[in-house]
Amino acid sequence: MLFRAPLNFPKPIINISLLLIFLIPLSNILSIQNLSKSYGAIQALKGVSFDVPEGSVYGVLGPNGSGKTTLLGILLNVLLADAGSYSWFGGMPPDDARRQIGSLLETPNFYHYMSAYNNLEITASLRGRGLDARDSVLQQVGLFERRHSKFQEFSLGMKQRLAIGAALLGNPKVLVLDEPTNGLDPAGIAEIRQLIRTLSSQGITVIIASHLLDEVEKVCTHVAILKQGNLLLHGPVDEVLRQEDWIELRTDNMAALQQALLTLPGTVAPSFRIVDGLLQLTGTQGITPAMVNEHCMAQGVVLTHLVLRKKSLETRFMELINK
Amino acid sequence: MRSLLAIEWLKIKRYRTFWVLIGLFMVLLPLWNYQISKGIISIGGGDSMGGINLLNTAYSFPSVWSNIGFWASTFITFLSILVIIITSNEYTYRTHRQNVIDGWSRLQFFHAKVIMVVVLSLVATVYLFLVGALFGWVNSGSLTNLFSEFYKVFYFFLLSVNYLGLGLFLAIFIKRSGLAIGLFLLYTNFVEHILKGILNSREGAPIGNLLPLQASDELLPFQLMQMMKSLMPSSNTFSDSTYVIATISWCAVYYLAGRILLLRRDW
Repeated sequence: MLFRAPLNFPKPIINISLLLIFLIPLSNILSIQNLSKSYGAIQALKGVSFDVPEGSVYGVLGPNGSGKTTLLGILLNVLLADAGSYSWFGGMPPDDARRQIGSLLETPNFYHYMSAYNNLEITASLRGRGLDARDSVLQQVGLFERRHSKFQEFSLGMKQRLAIGAALLGNPKVLVLDEPTNGLDPAGIAEIRQLIRTLSSQGITVIIASHLLDEVEKVCTHVAILKQGNLLLHGPVDEVLRQEDWIELRTDNMAALQQALLTLPGTVAPSFRIVDGLLQLTGTQGITPAMVNEHCMAQGVVLTHLVLRKKSLETRFMELINK
Repeated sequence: MRSLLAIEWLKIKRYRTFWVLIGLFMVLLPLWNYQISKGIISIGGGDSMGGINLLNTAYSFPSVWSNIGFWASTFITFLSILVIIITSNEYTYRTHRQNVIDGWSRLQFFHAKVIMVVVLSLVATVYLFLVGALFGWVNSGSLTNLFSEFYKVFYFFLLSVNYLGLGLFLAIFIKRSGLAIGLFLLYTNFVEHILKGILNSREGAPIGNLLPLQASDELLPFQLMQMMKSLMPSSNTFSDSTYVIATISWCAVYYLAGRILLLRRDW
């Protein structure tokens, strides 16, 4: 199973470079202000603004057609915004900034008649980097054995791997990945997610567009949720996709139970409603069923039913999207 | 600028179509001229049939330059098609996007292609010079007059930039190689002739001669036409320098139109 540190705590400091990140005041790698974009009558982005903090794994989450690729396209200067602006690295000229960014946008784009090896030579030249990293990058994405095969002979998954490899070339400070696990088999998906976690632990900022909630939940620290070009919510994953738990209670005397819950210690803002003869207690962060039981017993209320319910992330996501 | 060219070279040096089209140009140009100079292709039946061979008279210095320049101006179509294919390939495989994503500015992408057009034209011109020098040497018996009317070689360079430049613009404008090649061939073979006919049928200066490719064609006209023209009372036409300026102007138009298109359009 995968290990995930509590997101609101700093990650364990494992090397000097990470230490430096904590010494330097955290700044935004990318700042987006009010971006809008239309294709004819269709408005693909409607005034989207958010900041991407340095070192984060930022997920841009939304269903198909929500504007994710349009947003990334604008940030990479292949699409032109109708309004709004963005700045990389606190205002570096965009052409210079893109050389520090490894990107995979929409589909793997390579010269079909050339080998993986020779295609990466072009990528390296465009970025103004040497060819030293070419072998290690190909090994990282598991294509080293096939490096002399032509791009057109690759399967979809291999093309996707090559695109990720190309994005890694020249140690970029930021990775922009549009649906990075598209076309990969389950093992490939797991590898790519592990790779993203590894890179993130090295201090690289990663921006991922995805329609897979599961993907964002597993690898991202921050999330922006898009729907039909609108930015619904953005912020740290544990805030935006907070799992709302509730406790279900029943007793013979519901009125006495409600009276007893008003004095439940440690509750922030307990609220309850009765559904099908069951009392649903929400706003119970930090309250365990045992504490509720103990409190009720002390108040002379004997519970006949006591269950902790967790709202699934899917439910939360669908609620957000269908709002 | 050197790095733009270096990257462009990385892209095309492993592209087989590039070598095939370059090869066709390089093989066909001397072969075709050889056949004409030997009277194998001729008007009026050729020597063996008692006809008068008008085509093979012009392979000694200095007329070799205008003669071979004219034939090269028809074979340059191969290179125009090459430019269209290379450029529209970038759109087909979306590598134009990737180039920008990986760090080129849009203008750098464009300039790399413009430089390719100029370099290909230079290569074609140097090749034309070598082939022309060889034919002239064989037919004149010496290289003494090698550089007389040498400006015709420069005319060919301008013509080549004009033809390849139009190809580049069409490829950027249309993005699809089949359609762009079709339109290019349609324009060079038919549309321009029709337009020229219409424009020149009116009184006054033959402004149809100033159409994009025609302006360059006028610099290296077909030798027989030239002879016939010289026999007729002087029809009003423009001077070579007018055609040089027109050619350069059209190249500037392709450049500016392509530049504006690339900067304002989504990729």
